Order: sequence, then C-alpha cells, then structure tokens
Amino acid sequence: MKYSEITIRFCGIAGDGIVASGKILAGACAKIGLHVMVNNIYSAEIRGLGKSSATIRFSTSKLYSMGDGLDLLVGMVSKESIIDLRDVKERGNVIYDTSTIGDVVEEDSLVSHITPEIQGHGLPITKLANEASGTNQGKNLVAIGAICYFYSLPPEMFVDQIKGLFTRKGERVVEINIKAFRLGYEYFKENYPLNNQFEIDKRSKPRKLTSGNDAIAKGAIDCGLKFFAGYPITPATKIMEIAAKELPKLGGWTLQMEDEIAAIGAVLGAWFAGKRAMTATSGPGLSLMSEMINLSVMAEIPTVIVNVQRGGPSTGLPTKVEQGDLNIALYGGAGDSPRVVMAPTDTEECYSGIQLAFDIAEKYQTPVIFLSDLFLGQRTETVTIKENIDRDRCTRKKPTSEQLKNFLRYQITDDGVSPLIVPGEPGAVYSTTGLEHSAKGNPNYESDVHSMMTAKRFRKFDSMVADLPTADILGDETAEIGIAGWGSTIGSILEGMEIAKKQGVKTKLIKSIMIHPQHEDSFRKFFDSCKKIIIPEMNYQGQYAALLKSRYGIKPIEIHIPAVNPVSPLKIAQKIMETNSELSQ
Amino acid sequence: MSFLSKQTVLDELKKAKASKTKEWRDNLPTWCPGCGHFTGLHGLYEAAEKLKIPPKDFVVVSGIGCSGRFPFFIKGFGLHGLHGRAIPIATGIKVASPNLTVVVVGGDGDGVGIGGGHFPHAARSNFNLTYILLDNSIYGLTKGQISPTSPMGMKSGTSPYGNIARPLNPTTLALAYGATFVARTFSRERDMVSELITKAIQHKGFSFVHDLSPCVVFNKDVTYDSWNNVAKKLPEEHNTLDRSNAITLAESTNPIYQGLFFREEIPTFDDHVKQVRDGLNQPA
Repeated sequence: MKYSEITIRFCGIAGDGIVASGKILAGACAKIGLHVMVNNIYSAEIRGLGKSSATIRFSTSKLYSMGDGLDLLVGMVSKESIIDLRDVKERGNVIYDTSTIGDVVEEDSLVSHITPEIQGHGLPITKLANEASGTNQGKNLVAIGAICYFYSLPPEMFVDQIKGLFTRKGERVVEINIKAFRLGYEYFKENYPLNNQFEIDKRSKPRKLTSGNDAIAKGAIDCGLKFFAGYPITPATKIMEIAAKELPKLGGWTLQMEDEIAAIGAVLGAWFAGKRAMTATSGPGLSLMSEMINLSVMAEIPTVIVNVQRGGPSTGLPTKVEQGDLNIALYGGAGDSPRVVMAPTDTEECYSGIQLAFDIAEKYQTPVIFLSDLFLGQRTETVTIKENIDRDRCTRKKPTSEQLKNFLRYQITDDGVSPLIVPGEPGAVYSTTGLEHSAKGNPNYESDVHSMMTAKRFRKFDSMVADLPTADILGDETAEIGIAGWGSTIGSILEGMEIAKKQGVKTKLIKSIMIHPQHEDSFRKFFDSCKKIIIPEMNYQGQYAALLKSRYGIKPIEIHIPAVNPVSPLKIAQKIMETNSELSQ
Repeated sequence: MSFLSKQTVLDELKKAKASKTKEWRDNLPTWCPGCGHFTGLHGLYEAAEKLKIPPKDFVVVSGIGCSGRFPFFIKGFGLHGLHGRAIPIATGIKVASPNLTVVVVGGDGDGVGIGGGHFPHAARSNFNLTYILLDNSIYGLTKGQISPTSPMGMKSGTSPYGNIARPLNPTTLALAYGATFVARTFSRERDMVSELITKAIQHKGFSFVHDLSPCVVFNKDVTYDSWNNVAKKLPEEHNTLDRSNAITLAESTNPIYQGLFFREEIPTFDDHVKQVRDGLNQPA
C-alpha cells in the first residue's frame, strides 16, 4: 500500500519516553523533508499516575491540524492503550508488546481488544529492549525501529536523531538506543514482509521543527525584547525558559518572580523605563494579572502578555487545550478598560503576530493580550518562518522639542496617543498614576476630565485600526456557507472545509489575528455575503460567537467544544454538510 | 486639628521655592498637617540634593495609601501604581535601566500587608533599590482601620473589640529576608531620617529604611507621644555586620531602637548579571 500521509500514536505511561519517541520520529521525518505535526498528550503528573501519548502526523503536503484517526497505534503499555483503539482508522494498524501478554488479565490486554477491522502486529518490545540494554530502557526505540521498516523510511535518518537526542547522556545511552532501534527494525523485517511504502520525494529539503511557544519567544527576541518576567505555569513555561537562555546573550535579562502579579508588575516597570518587555502565562496567571492590566490601561504603560490557554476554570486542566480565556482577555478588568486582544492561528503567526503585538503596544501605549493555546503552543511542526530581525525596533511616539517645553504626559491628541519620554532621557520628567489624572498626569477626579481621558483611551483603538492587518478570507468566495474562527481551531476548520469540498460543498472562512479591535468592514462584508455562518470554537459558552453576534448582529450556527483534544476536522465537515442540506431544503 | 490657611500654603510654597532642595520639589504635599510623612519626604529631598541625583535619572515608585502620593511631590519620574505592588514595578524599572536611582516608598499596609509577598524576594535578590516604609500602624486613606503593624488590642472601625493578631515588625522582617542595609528612623528626628535615607540610596544593594511615621488623625494608639517615650538611639557599640544581634535589637519594644541596624557589602543583583553576561561573551 502506498501512503502520502500517516498518523502514528505512541501510548505509554508518563515517564516511558513517549515524548522522546515523538521527537525522534518527527525529527527523522522532518529531515527527509516531510511536513510533520506532533501533539503530546499527557497528564498533569510527572510520573506513574497518568497516561502519556505522542501523536505524530507526517505528510508530503502541508498540515493544518492533527486530522482524524490513526494509521498506527503503538501500545507501549497494554491496559492504557485500549481506549486509543477507537481512534484507529478502519484497516489501520496496531503494534502491541508480545512479551508482556501474560502479565495482565485478558480484559486489560490490548491484543484481546483488537477487532477484525484493525490489523494487529506483535512485537516483543520489552524483550528486545532488555536484549539491548539489560533493562526496559530502549522500549520506545524498539517500536521506532519497527515503524521505520513498516513504512520503509530511511533508517540512517533515525540513527542521526538518536545521536542528536542522547549524545549529552553519554556514549552508552546512544549505543543502547541504536541497538534497540536495530532489533525492532530487524524483527519486523523478518516477521512482516514489506508491503507499505511511504512516498518520499527525494528532492525535498530538510525542514525545521518549531512549536508555537518557540515561535513566540523567537519573534519577541527578534523584535527587541529586552526583559522578560514570569512565573512558571503549564503550558507557557517554555517561552520563559527560552527568554532566560537567550536574553542575557543580548544584553537583556529574565526574572523569575514570586507570582504572576509581580511578573506583570516588573514588565510594566521595564516598559515604563522604555524597554520592550513581556510576560507569558496561562489562565490562572492571567486572572491574577487583571489589576495590573488595568494599571497599564489607565497609566497608558505599554505591555505584552502572552496567554497560552489551557482548560479552565481555576487550576482546571493544566495539560489540556481549551479556548476559554477570550472573555477574561477582552473584559477582565474593572471600569472601562480597553485592551488589544490578538490570537495567532498558526505557528507562523505566533512569530509575526508577537512582533505586531509589540509594535501596537509601544505605539499605542496599551496592553496587548496575545492568546495562544496549549495545542498551538506545545505542538511541534515543520513550518517556514519568515525571519524579521530588528532588535532596536521602536514604535514609541516621542515628544517634539516644543512639546517638551511644557510636557503633558497625557496630552489630548487626535489619535489619542500622547508623546512619551522615558526615565534617563533629558527634557522633561513626569509622574504617572492608576488614578484618573489630568493631561499633566496629576490625580484629578473632575467629571469632564474623566470623560475626556476615557474617550482618549478608547480613541486609540479607532486610530490603530489603520495599522492592523485586514482579515483573511480563504476558501471559495462564491460559497453560501461562511465560517468564522479564531486561534488554533482555524487549522481544523481548514481541513474540515477540505473534506467538505471533496464532497462537493463549497465554503469560505474569515480569520483574523485581531480579535479586538478588528477591521469591522471586512467582517461585515463577509457576513453579508453568507447565507449561513458557522462559528466553531473550543469552549462551552461560544465566547467568540458572542463577541461577533454583539458586534455584527449575526445569527450564527455555533459549535461549542469544551476541548481536551484539538478539534476534529471531521466534526467541522459534518456540521458543514448538515448546514448544506438545510440550505438546499 | 486646623486646616492650613491659604496664606500658610503660599508661605510654605515660597519657602520651598527658595530652599536648596527646590530642584527636586514638585506639587505641594496633600497630607494632613502634622503627618509623619513630611519628614520622610524632606529626607528624600535632602538625599537627592546631597547626592545630586539628576531628576531625569530619579524614579520614585509607590503603591497606594497616604505614602503613595510621594511621586507627585518630587521632581523626577514617578509611578504611583497599585496597592502593594511598588516593589515588583520598581524591580522591572531598575533591571531594565540599571543607571537610574530607583526609590520605593510605601506604607505598612502596602508593604507588609497586601504586598508582603514581594518584600522578601527583592531583599534576597539584592536589587540595587532603596525601600522606604513609612509605618503609621493604620490604614489612613480609608480613614482608620488596623494594619499589620497595629498593636494587639487596638480598636478601630474594623476591630471594634480590639485587634487580636500580633503586629509584624518590618525591621525584623527586612533583617530576616537578607536585606543588606537595614535602618529604622522616627519621623521626629529629621536629621537622622535625612542622613539614613541618603546612606540607603548610596548603599550598593537592597536598602531598607523603616520610618516610624505617626498618623495624627486616625491613630490614637500609636502616636508621636507613644513612640517618644520608648524611642532610643541604637547602642554605639552595636556591630552593624552582626545580623543576629541586629534582629535582637530590632525586636525590642522598650526601648524601640533607631539607627543603622545592619549593613554589608556583598555582590548586588547587577554584579551577578554582569558576571553571567561576561561568562557568556567569553570565547568557548
């Protein structure tokens, strides 16, 4: 059988080397020049308690989501893998460990649950690992060896990956893992004559694997990030770790603070001092930051906050994806508290989008909340990022010499933006405050001053629209079914649209990294041209749909998915088909 | 209690404009007459003048409370931020721009109540900041409720039957947190306040000045008189490198000691950062 796209899942217990399996397989495929996307699913416990899995999808063409269904399930452990059998496609494959079959009762045994629609392939995983290492170490490599043969992938690429991943652990570890890989490869070669072939274009160039979190950190550093303050939180910590490693090399610094309030406080301080600064957090951290976001609004101190969303509320589901923080991002603050909310839809946009976030924050002296999510942040994929490096970038509106003579920090202007100087710069000094204030910055509670200043703070949002990218419209412009989406759900929507297209149903999609403010005209025009509008998103309430309904007066069909796993493209396609049959009735 | 007449205000303004610290004076303070905070402010003016801190390089960061208004009275950059959060904001300013002189001013509720979680970390990191805590043992701006430094038994709107929690001692806390400069002053002693604030700003590392600064309007229990009776200068033989003896002296309630409790010169946050960066820039 010939394949141009494969999805493989490794299932095991946390600590089993599942993530490493994903890395090796994905790394080898990327090196061959394939498009790869990897999603790790794990529990919030480090070891022992929870199941861990790594799903790797690779293809000869670009991938937008994790798709639906598995071509191959690798059950490193028996009982915990049973439930994943339901994700295996018809005529899909399962590799199970023959050396542990007798260790569990029949109902806990993976092999006894394999149905006739699925092909089971026995592999003595534990036995071969012991042959290689004398312990269970190397089980994952035995399985990878088998996979390499099974899909006729080039083994030398895998050996490179093993060396790359394990060299820092010592020569012996590398040897053990290579031996385990070979044993798995040889076992499959002897027992399962080759009948699968993956179509590889030999001319393809190696691709680089990047995650959304990597792209955000890199994008920020490339556009002049000088200071990062944060507090560790899943799934955003990686951004802080990259900043901690890279910033000192560039004259910057990263502070691990005592809590998220301190983190955003220090970031505001750095911006006040004129430096590009950022924090990254998740829902619980964003909640703590609310008051400081309000200070940023009131005192017009720029700030950039990345929120890699996870399941909520409260501590919620730290290792599962959800898009439930749109409301707190948009509205989470006392008083009339406008803020910019952006949501990248893919890894490339994590890079370019965070740079735009800095430019907007600095130019318009406003908080920008950058809503990524766990799936987008942690998945690794092969993407081509168009680098844009300018570490001295500055979009701050500076005062003229005339303005410096009687410096008004909160000078009323047409665009709402007042000139700003920073400590250390000659010419004027000022004090700022979270209290309502006069143009000079002194506390003032007069009603006309409050009205004027509130209007000024909101006016900035009207003026910034000209600087913002317009919404993208994808798909078939003549389609009557329009879809609106945000964040990482866009990937699944695009693949869902593709499935529908193959069944003859045309659709179009409007997507925008800008949630607030938006280019409203392009949305209005789009919605006017649709007979039916579908809005899928990963939360129970339909938070984005609520925003669009109130903003554009539309009556969409909403798909609310309180997520744990990324959205299934098939589910989107089904809704499109349903909507289409309603239209043709 | 009488309010200032317009003439008194104008006279004060004239005096201020003629003083040697005029370069650092901005808006006239809005505190009640007799407030201990005037002494702290005066001390900061004098320190700025003595050390000739250019206003463009001078940043005063405050939280919320009566002491929070400091930035408006000082010519320099100022950030009147959130209740309890002055220290992290100041940290960001200082780490981003190490050449600035950054002074944090706050009250007892701000510093050891709502913001109590930030103080230890600034101290242990030895950021080159000065933190002046003006302690009046009361929430003044909300018109008189007990604070974390109020004595047991103290009655207030929120403790009508008397405070039943023991007070915190900010000087002891600073010593325990590892601050490298710890002083306590009393707002009655203008010269001592000025001198120790100046020394604190000069100190390389995290410096802390605990100023006993009575609220003459809302606090009837902790007053100039109550402190007057027990305030005493630290024994001359006290060794300012002896942290544990400093803690013993700081804990004393009769007398309540004032002066420099502790000072040591160890590498600051900036020194450590420099070391890391130098290491990274060295060819492998």
